[in-house]
Amino acid sequence: MSRATIAPERESREVAAGQAGPAKRTRLPGDGLAGYLFLSPWIIGIVLLTLGPMVTSLYLSFTDYDLFNSPNWVGLENYQRMFTDARWLRSVQVTALYVLLAVPIKLAAALGVAILLNGKRAGQGFYRAAFYGPSLIGGSVGVAIVWKMMFSDDSVVDQLLLRVGVDTGGWAGNPDFSLMMLVLLATWQLGAPMVIFLAGLKQVPRELYEAAEVDGAGRARRFWSITLPMISPVLFFNLLLETINAFQVFTSAYVVGGPNGQPAGSTLFYTIYLFDRGFGDYRMGYASAMAWMLLLGVGLVTVFLFRTARGWVFYSGDSGDRK
Amino acid sequence: MGALKRFRVLATSLVALLAVACGGGGGSGDETQAGPATLRFSWWGNAERAELMQQAIDLFQSRNPDIKVTPSFQEFEAYWQKMATETAGGNAPDVLQMDFAYLREYSDRNALYDLKKQEGENLELGDLLDGLKGAGEIDGKLYGVPTGGNTWGYIYNPALFTEAGVELPKDGWTWDDYREAMASIVAKTGVHGGGNYIGSYYNLELQLRQEDKLLYTEDGKLGFDKARLKEFFEEGKALADAGAVLPIEKGVQIKPSFALELDLVAGDLGWDNFMARYDKGAKAELQLGPVPTAKAGTSGQYLKPSMLLSVSQKSEHPAAAAKLVSFMVNDPEVGRIFGANRGLPPTKAQRAAAQLEGPLAAVAAYEEGLEFGPTPPAPPKGAGTLEQAFIRITEELQYGRIPVDEAVDQFFTEAEETLGS
Repeated sequence: MSRATIAPERESREVAAGQAGPAKRTRLPGDGLAGYLFLSPWIIGIVLLTLGPMVTSLYLSFTDYDLFNSPNWVGLENYQRMFTDARWLRSVQVTALYVLLAVPIKLAAALGVAILLNGKRAGQGFYRAAFYGPSLIGGSVGVAIVWKMMFSDDSVVDQLLLRVGVDTGGWAGNPDFSLMMLVLLATWQLGAPMVIFLAGLKQVPRELYEAAEVDGAGRARRFWSITLPMISPVLFFNLLLETINAFQVFTSAYVVGGPNGQPAGSTLFYTIYLFDRGFGDYRMGYASAMAWMLLLGVGLVTVFLFRTARGWVFYSGDSGDRK
Repeated sequence: MGALKRFRVLATSLVALLAVACGGGGGSGDETQAGPATLRFSWWGNAERAELMQQAIDLFQSRNPDIKVTPSFQEFEAYWQKMATETAGGNAPDVLQMDFAYLREYSDRNALYDLKKQEGENLELGDLLDGLKGAGEIDGKLYGVPTGGNTWGYIYNPALFTEAGVELPKDGWTWDDYREAMASIVAKTGVHGGGNYIGSYYNLELQLRQEDKLLYTEDGKLGFDKARLKEFFEEGKALADAGAVLPIEKGVQIKPSFALELDLVAGDLGWDNFMARYDKGAKAELQLGPVPTAKAGTSGQYLKPSMLLSVSQKSEHPAAAAKLVSFMVNDPEVGRIFGANRGLPPTKAQRAAAQLEGPLAAVAAYEEGLEFGPTPPAPPKGAGTLEQAFIRITEELQYGRIPVDEAVDQFFTEAEETLGS
């Protein structure tokens, strides 16, 4: 099967190469230039707004730059200092905990909602829009403020919990609950992965379910043996995206906890600490080094996810005995 | 791939790094000649202050038709982030509101214009109150002029004191009296006696000054040792553990409001000009009284220069900028517009014009009854950062997340890192 799919591809590549030959001869001088000209807004954008700052920040991460004075080279000092910096370690801890909580919870919720919305019921369009809605406005400051108010002392959530005898004294002021509050905020914004799951669910061939049903498989069995393997590429895509996103949570955390990660440093996310070091304390060299460590960390996690993916992600067309 | 793409968010946030600070500059030609100019003017504050500021700016523009002022404002924290990036990018506003704690930070980095060059020409300083006269001066250069002055006071609800049978605060009451009052009030009325005073850096400064010490020495070092800080932290820890003060959980959640304006506490130490704000918010009738002392006759107070105005070193119109500063400090109309919004006005003329009524009259009377000690030297570079660390550490202490000794160590580590460089 796999050989059959590769062969025509190679053929078409050869055909394309064959066509490129004659096309080259008739090309006018300046054609390439026009191409680059059309690309220029993006090239300029990448060089000036992404590549330039990245290279600069890499350089600054080896300096003691403080925004005001010209930077002095300090070698690896910034990187070394991180490992003895209690607040840096705390921020890594908080961020890791958040990623480990928020990503699985959000994905599970998104998948659950997608399965519910996949069936044919009256008003599905409305429900899909309703569940997708929060993710459109999710990143905004306003939502985070409302969220904080909802979870504060004597507010809606607190009152409800008091009714059932749970007294937290307000999640926003309790270091044991504040992170969970942000996890719930992320979960509430499950719209984007949900839509992708929904698309994935629609791709699962109905005949597989029918065949399984004939064989006497129950709901749970069908979910584990058909749905999950069939949507595993979509699941992997969502997992990757959400993990990388979760590492970079900033707006909601800043609104809830401010630059010190209130209460008591329980929401001191990596990005918050980075921002505070750079723009609050003016230790821009250190902040740059932190940014590169974050890139390194996220990169490692991504590589790790890709590695494990080989074991559990199945692409349609794969035959089980390929390996 | 995905990681790289996502990282763009971060990378663009560091775009400010492209701009590298370069020193020097300043106006060319005759610096004291004010020609037509457009001034950018930034301050921190809220919408209420912005409205007053706009009235003052309109008045300034009508008096100086060839000078146009473009205002902008942020909240305190966001303001300093913006000032840092703008200054680093060589794009600082012409006139900027300056905090005493940041004055040296900016002047040491060559970001501020020496206003001495404009004194007598475009800038009048003769009418400033005694305690504020040399306040913006560092090494003989004038980097800022205060637009207000305020001092530490004790604002309280006398009804709760009476209800608890606690004697009202009077001159010479001690910190022991203060702590006892806190405990009695919560025991008898159920209302917490106050916020925990260790949360504010100025309470530490006040205690130190009452012991003839300083928060920062002349050469920019800490004016106290670990043992002294430990003592301070232990006082607050005991108050928190006894439940005499508002629990930190509550304090964190009501931000940015203050406990006193929500009637959550019986009293609190703070800047006296907050009287106006509390009075507007609180249902209770509030009074302004004397601060606790170490021993009678040692109030340790000084008139703190608040909201200085500085001119950027890079400004192309230093003369026009100085005119704006002078107007904001001296013009009686401006004094009338602001009242005590920025602390009590800094000049005699403005104080006379301010028509202080109700709670503000109480603030004026309070300040007149005080004997101010000398204003301390401008805090060292990094003082703003260190104050933030202090707030953070005392918060964790109150949450019981770190023991007193660790809190003390953390603060001294931070101080070494911040002041040492």
